[in-house]
Amino acid sequence: MSDGTDEELELTSPLVPLFVITNGRGLPSDHEYEHTALVMAHDSGSSAATRALSPEARKVMDLIADGFLSVAEVSGHTHLPLGIVRILLAQLEEDGLILVRKPIPRVERAERELLSAVLDGLRTKFGA
Amino acid sequence: MNRDVLIWCLGAVAVIAVAAVVALVARNRALGARRRQFETESAQRLAEAESRLSAALSDLQKFRAEQDDALRDAERTAEESTKAVLKGAVRFLQSLAAEQTTLLDGIQRKHGGHAVLSDLLDVNHATAQMARKAQGIAVMCGAPLSRRSQPASVFDVVRNAQGQIRNFNRVQIMQQSGIALKASAVSPVALAVAELLDNAASFSQHDAPIEVTFQRVQKNLCIVIDDAGVGMNDEDRQKATVLLSGNAAPRLSQLGAQPKFGLPVVGLIARQYGFKVDVTGVSRYGGVRAVVLLPEELWTMEETPQAPAQEAPVRRIRHIPTREDEPESRTVHGLPKRGERQSPTASVTDTGSSTGGNTRPFKKARGVGGLAAIQRGTMSGRAAEAPSSEGTEDA
Repeated sequence: MSDGTDEELELTSPLVPLFVITNGRGLPSDHEYEHTALVMAHDSGSSAATRALSPEARKVMDLIADGFLSVAEVSGHTHLPLGIVRILLAQLEEDGLILVRKPIPRVERAERELLSAVLDGLRTKFGA
Repeated sequence: MNRDVLIWCLGAVAVIAVAAVVALVARNRALGARRRQFETESAQRLAEAESRLSAALSDLQKFRAEQDDALRDAERTAEESTKAVLKGAVRFLQSLAAEQTTLLDGIQRKHGGHAVLSDLLDVNHATAQMARKAQGIAVMCGAPLSRRSQPASVFDVVRNAQGQIRNFNRVQIMQQSGIALKASAVSPVALAVAELLDNAASFSQHDAPIEVTFQRVQKNLCIVIDDAGVGMNDEDRQKATVLLSGNAAPRLSQLGAQPKFGLPVVGLIARQYGFKVDVTGVSRYGGVRAVVLLPEELWTMEETPQAPAQEAPVRRIRHIPTREDEPESRTVHGLPKRGERQSPTASVTDTGSSTGGNTRPFKKARGVGGLAAIQRGTMSGRAAEAPSSEGTEDA
C-alpha cells in the first residue's frame, strides 16, 4: 500500500469534457436536427462570429462550408456523439451561421392514396 | 565653700556625662557590628535564594521547552498520520473519479444519439467537480496529482479547468492557439485555474461573467482571470498573497469544519511545479484579477498534435471542389450540383482502425471503391441518356 500511494495516476479521459464543448446547452427537441437532416454553412455568416466559435464548432463549420452534409455525417467526421453535434448545430443556427434542410417527413413521402390512384390508373390503361 | 561644692558637682556631672557618652558609643559600636553581621548574613541568604530561584526558573524553562517540543511532535505526528490516512483515502477517490470520468465519456459516445445524453453530461459535470475536490485534498496532504501524459493547448487546459466548477458557463475564454502546455504542467495548471475560477465564481454574482484571457509577457505566459465580484480589501490581499506563496500552508487541523483550501492548494502546487499566482490585481470590472504566470519551462509555442489519425481521413475523403476551382459545379441558379466524387466517399473510419496496420485501410478502400464504382456507373449512365435535370452547363 505504501509503495502504491506515491505512484501517479494517469488520466485517460479526454481533456475537454463533452459538457464543456456544448457549454451546458441542452439537447434540442427530438424532431430537430435529425440524423438525416442536411446542414450547410451560411454564406453570409460574419467572420467575426465564426472566429469566436469553439474549435469543435469551427470544425463543424469547416466540414459544411462547401455543401450540404447530413447531421450523421458531421457527427462521424468530427468524432463527436450525435447529440453533441445536434447541440452545436442548434447554437450555430441560433447564431445564423448555418442553413438547415429538414428531412422529408415519412408521412409526406408515402402518400398511399396518390400511389394507389396512380396504380389504378395504370391498371385501367394497361389492363394488368 | 560653695564654689568647691559647685566644682565637685560639676565634676561629678562631667564624669557622669563622659561615662554616659562612653557607654552610648560602646553601645552604638556594638549595634553597628551586629547590623553589619546581619546585613552580610541576609545578603548571603538572598544570594542563595536567588541562585535557587534561577535554578528553578531554568528548570521550568527546560520543562516548558520539553513540553512544547512534545506538543509540537505530537501535533506533527498527528498531522502526518492524518495526512497518511487521507493520502490513502484520496488516492482511492482520485482513481475512482478518473475511472468514472473515462466510463462516462465512453457511455456518452456510445449513446450519443439518445436523449439520456443530456443527463449524462450533467453527471459528467458533477464528477468533474468531485475530481477537483479529490485533487485538492491530494495536494493538501502531499499526495501526487493525477497527471496527463500528453501536452495540450493552453486553451483546452483552461476549458478543462472550466468544467471543474459549478457555474461553468459563466466562464468566457479568449481563443488562443499555438501555445501548448507541456504534459507535466497540464494537470497542475488545470487544477490551479479551476480553483481560481471557483473563487471568482463564488465571490461574484451568480450571473456575472468571468473572463479568461492569455498574455505573453517576455518569456512568461499569463493566464488572466477577471471576475466582476466585490474585490478584496488590503487585509484579504495580504492573506491571499501569503497563502499563494506556498510557504505558509495551513495545517489540515486548522482548516475547520468547512475547509476552504482553494488558495492554499493553488499556492502549494504553484510552488511545487514552479509557476506563480497573483490575485492582488483589480479586474476591468472592479473585481479580482487573478494571474497565473507560467515560466517558459512549462509551455512551448508548438501547435499541439491534434490527433492526426482523426484528421487525416476526413481531409482525404472529403475533397469538395471550391467554387473558384470548378465554376460549373453550380447551376445557373447558383444551386450546388451533384457531381462525380473525386474520391470514394468512405464511411467514416473509426479511430481505432485508422491508427492500425496497413492492411485494414487497404481492404476497406477496396470495398468502398466498389461502391464508388457503382455510383460512378449510375452517374455516367444518367449523364449519357438524359440532359442534366439540374441545369445544363451552357444554359
